[in-house]
Amino acid sequence: MAERWTQDVKPFLAKWALVAVPYLWSLLFFLAPFLIILKISLSQTAIAMPPYVPVIGSLGDFWAKLSDFTFDNYVFLTEDPLYYSAYLSSLRIALVSTILLLIVGYPIAYGMARAPKSLRNALVMAVILPFWTSFLIRVYAWIGILKPEGLITIALQSLGILGPDEQIHVYNTETAVFIGIVYSYLPFMVLPLYAALEKLDATLLEAAADLGCPPTKSFWVITFPLSLPGVIAGCFLCFIPIVGEFVIPDLLGGSETLMIGKTLWAEFFNNRDWPVSSAVAVVLLIILVVPIVIFQNQQKKA
Amino acid sequence: MVRQRLLGAAALTVALATGAAAQEKVVNVYNWSDYIDESVLEEFTKETGIKVVYDVFDNQDIVETKMLAGGSGYDVVVITGPFLARQIAAGVYQPLDKSKLPNLSNMGPEVTNRVAEYDPGNEYGVDYMWGTTGIGYNVEKIKAIMPDAPVNSWDMVFKPEIVSKFKDCGVQFLDASEELIPAALKYLGKDPDSKDAADMEEAGKLLASVKPYVQKFHSSEYINALANGDICLAVGYSGDILQARNRAAEANNGVTINYVIPKEGANMWFDIMAIPKDAPNPDAAHAFMNFMMKPEVIAKSTNYVAYANGNLASQKFVDPAILADTAIYPDKETLANLFSTTPYDAKAQRVLTRVWTSVKTGM
Amino acid sequence: MIEAVGPIKRKFAPWDDPTLKPFIRFENVTKRFGDFTAVDNLTLDIYEREFFALLGPSGCGKTTLMRMLAGFEQPTEGRILLDGKDLSGIPPYKRPVNMMFQSYALFPHMTVEGNIAFGLKQEGMDTSNINTRVAEMLELVKLEKFAKRKPHQLSGGQRQRVALARSLAKRPKVLLLDEPLGALDRKLREETQFELMDIQMELGMTFLIVTHDQEEAMTVSDRIAVMNHGIIAQIGTASEIYEQPASRYVADFVGDINLIDGTVTAVDDDNVTLHCAGVDATIVAEAGAGEVAVGAEAGFAIRPEKVQISLEAPPAGTPNVLSGEVWDIGYLGDISVYRVRLAGGSIVKATVANLTRIVERPITWEDKVYLTWPADAGVILLK
Repeated sequence: MAERWTQDVKPFLAKWALVAVPYLWSLLFFLAPFLIILKISLSQTAIAMPPYVPVIGSLGDFWAKLSDFTFDNYVFLTEDPLYYSAYLSSLRIALVSTILLLIVGYPIAYGMARAPKSLRNALVMAVILPFWTSFLIRVYAWIGILKPEGLITIALQSLGILGPDEQIHVYNTETAVFIGIVYSYLPFMVLPLYAALEKLDATLLEAAADLGCPPTKSFWVITFPLSLPGVIAGCFLCFIPIVGEFVIPDLLGGSETLMIGKTLWAEFFNNRDWPVSSAVAVVLLIILVVPIVIFQNQQKKA
Repeated sequence: MVRQRLLGAAALTVALATGAAAQEKVVNVYNWSDYIDESVLEEFTKETGIKVVYDVFDNQDIVETKMLAGGSGYDVVVITGPFLARQIAAGVYQPLDKSKLPNLSNMGPEVTNRVAEYDPGNEYGVDYMWGTTGIGYNVEKIKAIMPDAPVNSWDMVFKPEIVSKFKDCGVQFLDASEELIPAALKYLGKDPDSKDAADMEEAGKLLASVKPYVQKFHSSEYINALANGDICLAVGYSGDILQARNRAAEANNGVTINYVIPKEGANMWFDIMAIPKDAPNPDAAHAFMNFMMKPEVIAKSTNYVAYANGNLASQKFVDPAILADTAIYPDKETLANLFSTTPYDAKAQRVLTRVWTSVKTGM
Repeated sequence: MIEAVGPIKRKFAPWDDPTLKPFIRFENVTKRFGDFTAVDNLTLDIYEREFFALLGPSGCGKTTLMRMLAGFEQPTEGRILLDGKDLSGIPPYKRPVNMMFQSYALFPHMTVEGNIAFGLKQEGMDTSNINTRVAEMLELVKLEKFAKRKPHQLSGGQRQRVALARSLAKRPKVLLLDEPLGALDRKLREETQFELMDIQMELGMTFLIVTHDQEEAMTVSDRIAVMNHGIIAQIGTASEIYEQPASRYVADFVGDINLIDGTVTAVDDDNVTLHCAGVDATIVAEAGAGEVAVGAEAGFAIRPEKVQISLEAPPAGTPNVLSGEVWDIGYLGDISVYRVRLAGGSIVKATVANLTRIVERPITWEDKVYLTWPADAGVILLK
């Protein structure tokens, strides 16, 4: 028996223990919190600690109080165009930002991948370096740059492009939000792109040229298609968190910059309505997860 | 008192880390940022041997969320009246053991009675400081743009034809619905404490009409912006604007800031100390509260932060200039004009937030 | 089995015909990378329909030479002519040459068909013609069944064929092959070498192959240029290079060689007499390239297969005899290599074809043996 244990059972268990790690991780840090939020989204507010009912103490409790759960909060989200607009506005801002990030990030990643090997690590460091300063401080710094009496205005005034009384009014606008987002998320776009482009075999471009393809065209028929995995990874890495972005629009945006992160904040902190804010979060998750799952299935088929 | 929500969130995590660790005699205090003379804390430790773990917040919505979730680890929390009232109802706080608070006798009846509106019988809380929400402005710039500006009236910010004149030099409002809506209601001649949806919506309409002239709704930026001369008009908290006044004076940059309580009346708010039900060190908490009610101690803080306190006995220790400043200690007539608000129930709160969102975003 | 296709090979030596103009001409071409001179004032003519090999160790400049022809590198000095036209300033994508890359450089996101059609699409050829040409190419390399596969779904040999088909699809005037068979195993490599020759014959193109494998160069090419440090050490047919190496470098690089050093003591019309003090012998042989004068330091070079090994002393007066003892025997199946230690301690190799399936060899370790060779079997090379 002991032999059978060491020969068959032990390696089998070891293998499954290893496979189980990512599942356990997802279960613990994604599924469990999600189920808690889902449960709260089906509850109702109350003046209590915690501020909602029903509170489930045990599994038996769960069945007993099942009838207390309600979809009212989801129905409520459909009744006020605020939520619908906030979702749409967030998706729009995320989409525009992601496109801007791709436009800005691609040449950077491309330049890095084409740089001499000895320089590349230094360039990667340069991309990562800003992370060593607090994100919040970096976004605050943009206030100093963008505000009407900030660095941009000063620079343009001293260059004579702006008159002494003219100012740049970017701060507190959506433009400032885009600037802040592009700046903050750039490494998340550049690094996957760089990884994809760096892997790209330069002889493929020579082969294309050899077969009569001019460089600009070979970028579109060879380089870009082969960097698509990096493009997709970078876009997902940026798009998903941008949809839920709260800090950047709060600091740089004007009060009219409507995003779901701010709406969620208001529900949770101003209204203290945990159930509705949970419902907002669940809907946000569905909006983000469903397209990704569809996309991944498509990828598998392709 | 800088009301800054993000830094507040950071302070919160620090609080989580430190709150639970204590074994020796410790009191965990949670207060608004920039709201105390910190030498007072050292004096407390010297006198009692109790170490103070002092954490700060900038947004009491976060505090409330934290308290409602439970297990915050704080022993003393400082919070505004309506929040205190709602949290008492939710069962967040424990009744005070008044036998451990002999210095309660120092408190004046004026403030104690007003606080009792939120905390009937003053069972749970003791006032720390109080202040008003009014108008701060840049004296020179306003004079230059509109020599006859009605600086002592809400007309300055709520009358489109007046506030529009100051658009280019910069106008900011607090990003606080519970301050602006009551002020607008008062201006409209309605009950500032009205929880009626139609009233709040009307106040929202008034605010929306002046929104195009408001550069930003923010609860702390106006302090520096006023002091630097970046903006010339703000609706803000009395102490914050007075801090801006002092900063401008120190910088000697040619900016003079003034704070007024508009003649129509303004919100008078109270920051109240209370002890959470699950406070790990309730005895230390009582000792801390009692210490803060010592006249010379609270006077020191008032001198430092430029907010009034409700401790009558402390007034002989308060800087005479502050005591004489009607922007801090209003005279009887002004005091009579100040109003206070009661907690919003969930439904009214939702209307309030929605009206505010609509003011800010147009949605 | 490999089927013979195309016409029987006839004697083909355009380089001997003074009336023919070279098809590719490297004219005093120098290429420097910083301080390093990869190609040094090199002049080389290659003729139409020739299968030409550039042979040399890595770093000898052969790949740089080819890349300059393809247009990936520009000569620092000199010029390259193709069919009489100066190629300088013409970018790679406008040159009528195609290259088969050492790594194959197949486009991983395209199918086999897509790869082969790529060059034709760049030309603007219409779809039906492209399809016809692609089908032809697939047939040529016997990959009809794999048209829809992606490169990662193919074996190494199949990928090599796709690369070949892709580079041939445009019917270039010149096909450049950069170590084309380096990644294949020995058997497949040999088969493919002959296939390459057949394809070259059938399509009538000029092939330029870069390789470090002398066997490959000798098998496939009409002529070989042996390169060393950016210059050409020798140009010639395989047998010329092998049998009449112009220098010790060539002799040593191409095939196996024995070199015995000595001093020239006499020179007449045909022969040079070399006194080899180290092995205490005198050797008479033909002079190789270069002027050989009396008193010069030189070496006698002879291929191991031309050395005869015997237990019995040759008759007295036989010229060119070395004696020693068998130091080592290597059995390689088809041949055996005898390493014979001479008087001075130096080693001479002699190979003997294993004509019978003998188990016991007549000559064995420590036997005293005599080494002889025909008068014209070796050559004297200057140091």
